[in-house]
Amino acid sequence: MIGDFLHTTIAMMTPILWAALGGLFTQLGGMLNIGLEGMMLVSAFSSLYTAANTGSLLLGILVGISSSMLLAAIMGYVSLNLKANVFVVGLATNLFASGITVFLSSNLCGTKGTLYFQNAPELSEIKIPGIENIPILGDLLSGYDILDYLVFLAVIICFIIIFKTPYGFHLRSVGKNYRASVSVGISVYKQRFGSFLISGFFAGIGGAALSLPIKTFVGGMTNGRGWIALVAVILGRGNPVGVLMASIIFGAASALSNLFQATTDISPKLLLTVPFLVTLAIMIFYSVKRKKVNAQ
Amino acid sequence: MHRINGLIKTAITIGIALVIGIIAILLTSSEPGNSIKQFFIGPFSNTYFFGNMIAASIPLMLTGLAASLAFSASAFNLGLEGQLYFGALVGTFLAVKMSGFPAILAIVISIFASALAGGIIAGISGWLKAKWEVNELISSLLISYTLVYVVDYFLEGPFNDPEAGMAASPYMNSNFMLPKILSPSDLHAGVFIAIAVIIFFYFIYKKSTVGYEMVITGRNRKFSNYSGIPVKKVIILSMCLSGSLAGLAGIIDNLGIYGRMIRGYSTGYGWNGIAVALIARNHPLLVIPAALLFAFLESGANVASLMSDITPEVARIIQSVIFYLITAEGLVSFIGKKRREGIKT
Repeated sequence: MIGDFLHTTIAMMTPILWAALGGLFTQLGGMLNIGLEGMMLVSAFSSLYTAANTGSLLLGILVGISSSMLLAAIMGYVSLNLKANVFVVGLATNLFASGITVFLSSNLCGTKGTLYFQNAPELSEIKIPGIENIPILGDLLSGYDILDYLVFLAVIICFIIIFKTPYGFHLRSVGKNYRASVSVGISVYKQRFGSFLISGFFAGIGGAALSLPIKTFVGGMTNGRGWIALVAVILGRGNPVGVLMASIIFGAASALSNLFQATTDISPKLLLTVPFLVTLAIMIFYSVKRKKVNAQ
Repeated sequence: MHRINGLIKTAITIGIALVIGIIAILLTSSEPGNSIKQFFIGPFSNTYFFGNMIAASIPLMLTGLAASLAFSASAFNLGLEGQLYFGALVGTFLAVKMSGFPAILAIVISIFASALAGGIIAGISGWLKAKWEVNELISSLLISYTLVYVVDYFLEGPFNDPEAGMAASPYMNSNFMLPKILSPSDLHAGVFIAIAVIIFFYFIYKKSTVGYEMVITGRNRKFSNYSGIPVKKVIILSMCLSGSLAGLAGIIDNLGIYGRMIRGYSTGYGWNGIAVALIARNHPLLVIPAALLFAFLESGANVASLMSDITPEVARIIQSVIFYLITAEGLVSFIGKKRREGIKT
């Protein structure tokens, strides 16, 4: 049971963490990226649709990433070039994503409901020999799909990019004080546009991680994960490791909701509120603490 | 000058959005000519479609006002959808339970209860913001997600009408329904309530101290603090008012059209209310034409999908393009530059 719970926690965490790593880059550039939800959704559809029709998972994931990055580029263009309010552009991205996915699903697949691609290639679980049979530890470490494992590698890579490369240094300086950055010759525009593209890249993988394992797409299937990822970004305080910690908590909240569904009579509808309530509680806790620290 | 630029920009934005919508129709429809015609003319082609279009604008007027009220005080209320849905549940529940009451009394209680419920929910986010600086955008949104599930739970379980065969509440006493004013369409007297509320808030906004404090707080929070405006109270109050308008928007369809509450009856009223507020540039009176525009897009797409072969989601695509461009300052400066150049030559 503990093993199952831990395993579900990691599996539930993965899409959130991918998206949150994306949001981290825009956050470091000084912008709150509300469009994560929409980017994930578009990629969830396009990656699965491509994978099912070409039989190639890799191609599916690449198309998912590209579509999400395209959306991110539109966000960047409208908010940076046309100087639109970045919140509103984010809302537009979400609205557009929910419209275009249903639109495409109904025009390409003839239904607006649940799309199940039986023939889509399997995103198989990778069993680690030797470890998979150890109780609890085996559940915790073994049996995930490739996107679940890669996300941990991505955390490390993000850490290096953000703290050890000139790019990361420039991006952080833009977020902290863009006037000062301009005065030393850093292009705020380039940094921010780049951060949008990176956020599109990661959110795209997050979306693929949502639909490919279950070979199913439903309109609105991201169901707030982009927003939860955004909270993970805020709680992570600009550090990928912090974002990882926050995402684990949200993964655990979802796993808890699943566990209760299996073991209690509480209505599943009410249990679905658990991740949101946990996220809210942590958000409040974080704000209270921050305020107290600032007051001292 | 500023206002004219704003109008031109809005017109260009809507124009671009419509062009993209037309392209989407051209790409997907087998008879694009008919689809486009139905899209633009359909909602005006008979009283049924026309009345339904106006009816669809009623909740949008209220959510549009709700959003503009919060935005003009710089409080980002993104939880309109949940406030609306929860408010509607409370109001509908009372209306169903009060079946022996005189109609007027029941209607008034139901409306006020919905507004109160929505107001309290949004007020929580306002309070969290004022007290602990919890980002109201995120807190209102998370609460909204939670509430939608909770309300669905009630509609599927404890407050379900077993005879309905779907997730819907029992019917209220049919005497409580707001009178229809353009049969056979759905248009009901709620439209007068919505317009009256908008005019009322227009005066609050323009003439009262509270309205002034909201606007100043929205423009510059620090300045308001220095000049003795109770900024925290203003933020909580504007969230509360915004939420109560969302609650009102929620109950109005149930009293006017359905006579009960059906799961998922709100087709994004909350989100579209935000767009309506942006098109109206947070001006209470302009919310009316902006809501009508959105209702037109929705109805046009619906009629075209009935009479021709497009998917109604075309409306969603057009709406999101409007969303994308409506705050784009770049559009204005582009026009401004062109105009100045024109004067020079």
